[in-house]
Amino acid sequence: MAGPRLYSPFDKTMWESVAEGKMKIQRCEECGTYRYPPGACCPNCLSTEMQWEEISGTGKVLSWITYHKQYLPAYPAPTTVVAAMLDEGEILITNIDHAETKDLAVDRPIRVIYGDHPDGYRIPRFTLADGPAS
Amino acid sequence: MNAPQTVTPAASDLSLDNVAAVVGIGQSDWRADYKSVREGGKPTDSYGYGAVSFRRALEDAGIQKSDVDGLIVGSPTSFERASELYGVTPRWGLQADSSQAIVAAMMAIKAGFCEVVALVYGNDQRSAKVQYGGPQAMGGGANLSYVYHAPFGLTSQGALYAMMQRRHMELTGATEADLGQVAVGQRAWAGHNPAAIMKDRPLSLDDYLSSPYIAEPLHLHDYCLINDGGVALIIMEKSRARRQGRKPVTIKTAFRYDLHGGSTTLRPRLMDFYHTGHKVVSEKVYNAVGFGPRDVDAVLVYDSFSCHIPFALEGFGFCGIGESGAFMRETGIGPGGKLPVNTHGGHLSESYMQGWAHQTEAVRQLRGEAGLNVPNCRNIQYISDVVGRVYSIIYGVD
Ligand SMILES: [Zn+2]
Repeated sequence: MAGPRLYSPFDKTMWESVAEGKMKIQRCEECGTYRYPPGACCPNCLSTEMQWEEISGTGKVLSWITYHKQYLPAYPAPTTVVAAMLDEGEILITNIDHAETKDLAVDRPIRVIYGDHPDGYRIPRFTLADGPAS
Repeated sequence: MNAPQTVTPAASDLSLDNVAAVVGIGQSDWRADYKSVREGGKPTDSYGYGAVSFRRALEDAGIQKSDVDGLIVGSPTSFERASELYGVTPRWGLQADSSQAIVAAMMAIKAGFCEVVALVYGNDQRSAKVQYGGPQAMGGGANLSYVYHAPFGLTSQGALYAMMQRRHMELTGATEADLGQVAVGQRAWAGHNPAAIMKDRPLSLDDYLSSPYIAEPLHLHDYCLINDGGVALIIMEKSRARRQGRKPVTIKTAFRYDLHGGSTTLRPRLMDFYHTGHKVVSEKVYNAVGFGPRDVDAVLVYDSFSCHIPFALEGFGFCGIGESGAFMRETGIGPGGKLPVNTHGGHLSESYMQGWAHQTEAVRQLRGEAGLNVPNCRNIQYISDVVGRVYSIIYGVD
């Protein structure tokens, strides 16, 4: 089974937390700064001491795009990708059900749900936190 | 009073301003090679495109290959292999992207490492089928943002700019027709440029708006060409350049500022549009030359995607933040416009030479040898902000 490609040893822990439906990101043990994607040290203080914290899963839309051309086997067009600012202050980029695209707007609240990637692993996804626009 | 005196060097001793000049330029036959590659041909490889361009730049400068004592090659080729194949024995050299190459040449000349630097770029990206998106996207090793989000559906450099463009439109009210000014204006410039791949393919705003989306809100015509080719420049210490015979084009100043914090998740793009870097660099270069954005005769912007242009125009003070749509419509950036932008057609319509052909276009305009010359052209500003490295270079003639 092909899992997601790991870009550092720290990615493994993150993907394991995603598989459990409780995505965790790193937080510096010395200064409290969050970091995503996972990495070896704190960009604020260079400490390598960290802990893993489950994300709140809530945030706000920063931007989005809709692909009208297919690039990735797992994502036939049309497909929509959203960049959101999590309440933790880190940006998470992932997809949303294409049907929700018409209701997207900057600063609209979103929340993280978990879905399946065709390659056989789970991923965090977004959905509008307050349902479709009225 | 026996203590050693601290001597503060005069600012001019540290400055790279007006130290170097471009004395020769050359390029490969982009149009012919584009046609050949589309028909399945392989005219040559990256080194070959570089060689064709290098030879023409030497001829243009009126010097021999043996006069070259510094070599800078573009990122598709190895410095060592290029030195071997091109038969040059540099006293100094490296591999660099186009902006860094110009700055490195200035530094090496100032430091006395060499006097005549050849900058040689060749890229067989089209015929070699280099992938800029999808599972095999290039550049991911250095720039995690190009590959990290693929499991979630985000890939391709165009998509990263589409994300910026969507947010810019939402925050400022800019429209797709506003952005269309870039593709339409540059295509019109290309119509005058005999070397431009899209020379004979006029583009109207209606054509632009009815072209398919790739990553919405970006249309097909917001994306750069992908083609094979090469570009070369010869840069010399300025007093030697003056004796060379050909009218030198002075590299008046250059500066850089980087934004990498949170770059994998696009923070400096989405939260800042790289404007922090634009501001620092613009203040530095405009102070160095003693004039501002209103006084440049043309601006050349690295345009892998059209939206580089509005973001740069806002960040460098050509217009206010959020005002680029109205500015491009009312001021005009195409032929006849008050601010000529990418007068060669740029990456969208001339040739995708990763910024290298923007440098040679600056030289052509300042020599009065462009496809369509900007009247009384004395100063040209180049701007790039690829993956958070914000650069600007100002070229001029005395
Ligand atoms: Zn820390």
